[in-house]
Amino acid sequence: MTVWAPLEYTDVAELRGPLVMVRGTKGVGWDEYASIELETGQRRHGLVLEVDHDLAVVQVFEGTAGIRAEGTRVTFAGRPMRIPVGPGWLGRVCDGAGRPLDGGPPVTGTADASVNGFPLNPTLREPPSEPVLTGISAIDLLTTLVRGQKIAVFSTGGLPHLALAAQIAAQAGAGGRPFTVVFAAIGLTHPDAAAVRDRLEERSAAGELTLLLNLADDPVIERILTPRLALTIAEHLAFTMGRHVLVVLADMTSYCEALREVSAARGEIPARRAYPGYLYSDLASLYERCGRVRGLPGSVTVLPVLTMPAGDITHPVPDLTGYITEGQILLTGDVSAYPHIDPLSSLSRMMREGAGPGRTRPEHVDLAAQITAALSRARQARELAELVGEGALSAADRRYLALAEAFERRLLAQREDESRSLDETFDRAWNVVSVLPRRELTMLSPEALDAGYREDG
Amino acid sequence: MIALRDALEPVAEALLRQARQDADAVTHAARRGAAQTIEDARRQAREIIDAAREQGEAEGKAYSAATRARSARQARRTELAARRDALEELRRRAGEAVRALRDEPGYPRLVERLAELAREAGGDDLVVREHPGGGVVAEGPGRRVDCSLEALAGRAVDALGAEVERLWAP
Repeated sequence: MTVWAPLEYTDVAELRGPLVMVRGTKGVGWDEYASIELETGQRRHGLVLEVDHDLAVVQVFEGTAGIRAEGTRVTFAGRPMRIPVGPGWLGRVCDGAGRPLDGGPPVTGTADASVNGFPLNPTLREPPSEPVLTGISAIDLLTTLVRGQKIAVFSTGGLPHLALAAQIAAQAGAGGRPFTVVFAAIGLTHPDAAAVRDRLEERSAAGELTLLLNLADDPVIERILTPRLALTIAEHLAFTMGRHVLVVLADMTSYCEALREVSAARGEIPARRAYPGYLYSDLASLYERCGRVRGLPGSVTVLPVLTMPAGDITHPVPDLTGYITEGQILLTGDVSAYPHIDPLSSLSRMMREGAGPGRTRPEHVDLAAQITAALSRARQARELAELVGEGALSAADRRYLALAEAFERRLLAQREDESRSLDETFDRAWNVVSVLPRRELTMLSPEALDAGYREDG
Repeated sequence: MIALRDALEPVAEALLRQARQDADAVTHAARRGAAQTIEDARRQAREIIDAAREQGEAEGKAYSAATRARSARQARRTELAARRDALEELRRRAGEAVRALRDEPGYPRLVERLAELAREAGGDDLVVREHPGGGVVAEGPGRRVDCSLEALAGRAVDALGAEVERLWAP
């Protein structure tokens, strides 16, 4: 809705850091969207951070460099930020607040929507179902992503979680159904952002991707908006346009740090590790925007990627994320081969809804369980071998160690640019379990073993 | 002496036979070992060649993908820049068209209506004056309402939303 004669406030009391304090305002509320026009005619945007009587504090996305108190005019939209939604986002590269970075015109849409989202009626929710295939063997086989699911990637500093996130975004698909990826890069350094952009170029050119890039030196308030923008774009693509949408949010730890910074600026009482007390509900308000809706064809699958500071899984960010998400993919330095996924600590709680007969392969769930059980036994055998030496292990235990080695070499290890079909992943998986004698494979049905087991394995 | 040698003949023969058998066994084992080593070396060489070929193919593919991505990005950038130019041109022409209203006979009535609009938005205490480029600007303490023709034209283009895509739609 266009306001033809918007009221501009001209009494700027103070400029401090990214904040503009405007006096004499009336009826302005928290989180209201503001636009700031400089003397030069340049336009910037911001959000209301705090209101006290007639004084409104606005955080400016682009910062206040070059702004003078005199001659600056601030207009309030009277509502939280809204963005245009629709197919105009496909194939575009924008910053964390949705402004184009690709040299194109501003993104336009047939409708607009509040970035804070519209809470979904719980009775209209459908449970996640059908897989999202990523082309990464370890994920597709053992922690299958399910359409409408939220599943996190936990990583520690120094591991290539961004490369993995970009690989998933570049390769994922929904078995030929219309599929779109919205990649929100949050708090990334310039080289990381450039690497992500290069990796996703092909998908972007094909009009199947929206890339939102919030860089490490962008204002923190924009970092808080970026995942909300991504989810708002995704919801429209999924529930109005009927596409299956994967939203990758990387890195959510940067998001939480931005939230902490804004909370401190608002003078709120800090909770665990100085994060605001509402960190759990704030994260839930993002992650819970995934799902499927009864009667509508599309789905939103959310994949938050986060780094655990100092590898601490009990840190508030991974801890609270783990409460909300339906499983996790854990990266560890103990696995030497890319993608460094720890198969025994990774889990997709929704896997049964997305794998199995009619979805992937009939033996999928049993085969995944068999491999996980065998890897667990191999881990015990390795611990035993550290005490008594490998020579003292039983022949069966040695076969389990051989299986673990075959798993890492033949199935888990994968190049960053390698996309494996489901058939290839299963071929490799049968190769791996065939390292064990057939009598050890008690979780697989005789029919499945007849079809898949290789005696010469 | 000779009798002793004759007597030991069978022993010597047996020893010799045994030694020959041992030598044969060693030679066979060595041959088998050599064949195995050669076979191992061949297999290793094949694996190295296969790995190198795979790596080479992957690098080649990555290189061509990078080149393809670069040219796709260039093409996309050109297309998007052209769209932005089209939008800027629309903005410029809208500004021109609106400024031409100043020469229309109904212009004074338009200015009156814009002044009313500005006061409605910002309050009756605002001082309204005509903008040099056409239209009005109303100002008061800490408040301002810009109803200049140029600002209105800008708002009108912004209000088009997705309709501007018709500029470049096939």
